[in-house]
Amino acid sequence: MHKQSIQILSVGFAFLAGLLAGCNRSNSDAAQANAARRYTIGMSQCNLGEPWRVQMNEDIRTAAAQHPELNVIFKDAQNDTLKQRSHIEELVSAKADLILISPKEAQPLTEPVARAMEAGIPVIVLDRALLGDKYTCFIGADNKKIGKAAGQWIVKKLGGKGRVVELMGLMTSIPGQDRHNGFREGIAGSGIEVIFEADMKWLEPEARKEMESALSRFDRIDLVYAHNDPGAHGAYLAAKAAGRENIVFVGIDALPQEGVAYVQQGILDATFRYPTGGAEAIDTALKILKGETVPKKIVLGTRLFDKSTVAGGGAAMP
Amino acid sequence: MPESTPNQPPLVRMSGITKRFGQVTVLRDVQFECRAGEVHVLAGENGAGKSTLIKILAGIHTDFEGRLEIDGREAHPRNPLQACALGVAVIHQELSLIGAMSVADNIFLGRTATRAGFVRAGEQQQSARRCVAQLGLDIDVRQAVEDFPAAIQQLIEIAKALSQDARVIVMDEPTSALNAPEAAKLFALIQSLKARGCAIVYITHKMEEIERIADRITVLRDGRWIGSAPAAELPAPKLIQWMVGRELGEQFPRRVPHPGRERLRLENFSVFPSGFSGRPSVTQISLSARAGEVVGIGGLQGSGASEFFLGLFGAYGSRTSGVVQLDGRSARFSSPRKAIASGVALLTNDRKATGLVLSMSVTANATLAGLRELSPCGWRNPARERAVAREITSPMRLRAPSLDAEAGTLSGGNQQKVALSKSLQTRPRLLLLDEPTRGIDVGAKREIYQLVDEWTAQGIAILLITSEMPELLTLSDRVVVLHRGRITAELSRSQATPGAVLAAAMGQVAKSL
Amino acid sequence: MNAASPAPPPPAWKIFLASAGGRALLALLLVMAAGAVFNADGAFFKIGTHRDTLRQASVYGMLACGMTLVIISGGIDLAVGSVVALTAVCAAKMAVHWNWPAWEVVPASLVIGAACGMVSGLITAAWRVQPFIATLAMMVFARGLAKYASGGMKVSTAVQNADGSYRYVDVPALFRGIDHRILGGNLSMVTVIFIICLALAWVALSRHRWGRYLYAIGGNEEAARLSGVPVIGAKACAYAASGLFAAVAGLCQAAQEQQGDPEAGAGYELVAIAMVVIGGTSLMGGRGGMGLTLLGVLTIGYLDKILSINAVPEAGRLVLTGVIIVAAVMTQRRNRK
Repeated sequence: MHKQSIQILSVGFAFLAGLLAGCNRSNSDAAQANAARRYTIGMSQCNLGEPWRVQMNEDIRTAAAQHPELNVIFKDAQNDTLKQRSHIEELVSAKADLILISPKEAQPLTEPVARAMEAGIPVIVLDRALLGDKYTCFIGADNKKIGKAAGQWIVKKLGGKGRVVELMGLMTSIPGQDRHNGFREGIAGSGIEVIFEADMKWLEPEARKEMESALSRFDRIDLVYAHNDPGAHGAYLAAKAAGRENIVFVGIDALPQEGVAYVQQGILDATFRYPTGGAEAIDTALKILKGETVPKKIVLGTRLFDKSTVAGGGAAMP
Repeated sequence: MPESTPNQPPLVRMSGITKRFGQVTVLRDVQFECRAGEVHVLAGENGAGKSTLIKILAGIHTDFEGRLEIDGREAHPRNPLQACALGVAVIHQELSLIGAMSVADNIFLGRTATRAGFVRAGEQQQSARRCVAQLGLDIDVRQAVEDFPAAIQQLIEIAKALSQDARVIVMDEPTSALNAPEAAKLFALIQSLKARGCAIVYITHKMEEIERIADRITVLRDGRWIGSAPAAELPAPKLIQWMVGRELGEQFPRRVPHPGRERLRLENFSVFPSGFSGRPSVTQISLSARAGEVVGIGGLQGSGASEFFLGLFGAYGSRTSGVVQLDGRSARFSSPRKAIASGVALLTNDRKATGLVLSMSVTANATLAGLRELSPCGWRNPARERAVAREITSPMRLRAPSLDAEAGTLSGGNQQKVALSKSLQTRPRLLLLDEPTRGIDVGAKREIYQLVDEWTAQGIAILLITSEMPELLTLSDRVVVLHRGRITAELSRSQATPGAVLAAAMGQVAKSL
Repeated sequence: MNAASPAPPPPAWKIFLASAGGRALLALLLVMAAGAVFNADGAFFKIGTHRDTLRQASVYGMLACGMTLVIISGGIDLAVGSVVALTAVCAAKMAVHWNWPAWEVVPASLVIGAACGMVSGLITAAWRVQPFIATLAMMVFARGLAKYASGGMKVSTAVQNADGSYRYVDVPALFRGIDHRILGGNLSMVTVIFIICLALAWVALSRHRWGRYLYAIGGNEEAARLSGVPVIGAKACAYAASGLFAAVAGLCQAAQEQQGDPEAGAGYELVAIAMVVIGGTSLMGGRGGMGLTLLGVLTIGYLDKILSINAVPEAGRLVLTGVIIVAAVMTQRRNRK
């Protein structure tokens, strides 16, 4: 019995190894074909577990596809800072022409990026800032501004007063805190009252659970502000099941197949884009490679998607 | 053999030793002396108390009555390390090595050579190499112990004891895993230790070893000291008589035999628990048992009898060889399930470890082996199970608060009855009983013996292992004796005397074989 | 033993309290009492709150059913959370994107879950790998499969066309059927599904010989083997059952989110284990049952709800839940000699 299982295992492993080898071979074939291209850009993404980051890579890929002289190599650090460090080191020794990095944490990655700069490779930092200024350009959005924009939109929508439920993202994370603080800034001085707030940890089932609690506690809720679209969606489903359809739902992120789709389907009333910066990264990269100077920091604006603007691709906000 | 100076006090003197475990008295007023430069064999049947006496000397049992003197001074070691400091080294029967650690680390366990807390590995390894070289071993002392075969491990255990530069060395069955040349090396080493003035306490069941190396022999029986004498004054027959001679006070009535057709036939049956490349527990067993017959399997610890049963029962899968026939049909089982389905039942010798599921009820335990029959299409019938359990436990006269009580709450004797019930519930044709009355009081033993009678009257063939000689002789129609995995004697009812059985169990092959 | 008059048997309520069921019930009643006291302006007493508590606990409860079987057999299954994600993704793909009817989606999803469980079961039972390791490997493997099958994105009603735009398909009838309320809006369908799972597991455990085999294997595997119990088969089936219940949970998860999320179920296995343990089933194996698990599911479900309606901040919730789990388990330790 044992001998047989070893045989089956080895066949299975051989098959798997062949498959992987085949994959690698096809990649290197493509790389050889790409050798004709002029620039190699290395992109280190801190994880591909979040759909938003998958979207960022998608945006970069789509933008780069417009420019055949660019070859972008994607690396996934699987949320491991040490892996991301070695990404940078690998790209430096492979003499990449430019590095894009969406870092997991600021502190441990500041040094490797500085060394890459010293080696003469320009680095564009995306989404999360590093410490100091040893990088070429930082492109990111401002969660606090987005939260404030959401707050202001909510004030306008409710005519200056109303009862609001805030469903927060992980409050130990910076985006969560920024979207919370920005929102509170946006509604400051108005008659908007936050009657219930809970940490739903960015997760839809948690948001649904918290919304059910809010619904059972309060007979009148005017609006739900969730820090992300899945949260808003979960809250919507809870309200729909309870038959309380007249609540306004606002989310953030506005991924095309998620938040924007929800607005188009009438599930959400509004969502604010948290831009990935992928397209902007390629634009800036091209400029750097051509030798132009670029600003140190590019703050991306958000776009509002609500019933009136969703068809037109959202309204840009300052 | 070198004489020791008669005026010197013995290196070890134990007097008036009494040891109790709860209500049970294991040693009663035992005395033992061992002089420097002598090999003193401690002999006795299973359960005579030899291991307990040794453990007192080794500092493992610290609560005893009596007096222990080492080198003339009273000693009361509170733990093995203290015993070691007093100059006593023990080679245990169960290996005390830590498998995952290296040979060198094991040898110096507890006495690791350190400098400011850091292990002086190089020094340790050199000493370890010297130690094992004494036994003729040429191994890499940095390798883990568990990588070596059992025989080498036993030699490492011996090396560990010898490295302690002790004056009193206790060896408890040290050659159980060794072959003849390895054992010879050990005996040569023992001679050199004797010459150095060490006292060696040697426990063994093997007559050939006693005849070869003993200077003096002490015999224990049922926890009492029977006598000590120089080896020359104690030839094998007399030694056996000392070990076994008891007033057979508890005379149970002998069984009425009901022999029928041949039920079980074994030809050259061997069991290999650790695979065919390892050592077999029993080799080339050929025997037969008839319906309604009780064949007693005699043997001392290490004889392989329990493994023989497990192999017959299919517990070792297909790691057996030879011909097995049950009522004429081939019956080498590859799993206990198949054995049970073919009408074989096993009562194991350790009800807590392998016999019962203590967290389940009496009913659940009693019906476990036959559950397939009791639950057609898989669905259980609790009422039927309870009825069957009641039916099967009533002849046992089980004393339990109810059949739903957890088996773990019952007394040892009642637990044994539940285990017996489980074996009988599947209506076996062949019943393998391994120590069926372990932990059962005298009255209950009588009940079990009567049941054995009834079972054989029903035509069941029974193979019986028991370490109690009176029980073996009372119940068995024939006795087959095992020594180190081979049959050394087949005795008919009249031939089966305590002396004959013990002699065969200690390795003296019967002339008729 | 002397023949003095025996002590009178202890009163029935004392016996009950000393039993595992009694203590689990006590824990649940204490939690309910806390809810009655901290009732968040009367929200605790509304029927809707109880319906919602049962709804939110149901997915975990289904996992706890399978987990009970595995734990009783002496093992553990860490892969159930990932199997939830895998089946949620596959069910969403089948029902939403490929438009398969319910009678094809449901069996296919159940087979996926059961297959994952059976693989872990065989690895641990036949190849004697520790259950912790085998199911940990499956946990990673199934999560990877889920991400692969979904392309890393949630499988939702927004389907991408070839040109990159999106079209919106309806939520399939299967999902709407699972995520709705019955009995005048007072009971969620997923709760009914959970009760069905619980009943099936209870019947198997207490009335089928396979259940008895699991108790025997968990109580003393060697004794079971020597009593002719088919250890390998029974154990592998326990893990397959756990995978099956995880598949049911995955279907319910997908229906309640109206999408298949490859990140779903993360950490669910620990909640399921906590529910089983608080109910009184022993992690050592050989003891426990479905009734106890039900009590554990309700205890943790209600605790979660009470913290939620009182809007207790996250840090406080974590601390309180941890303390209560430890306290509940400590009061359950049997007084063995």
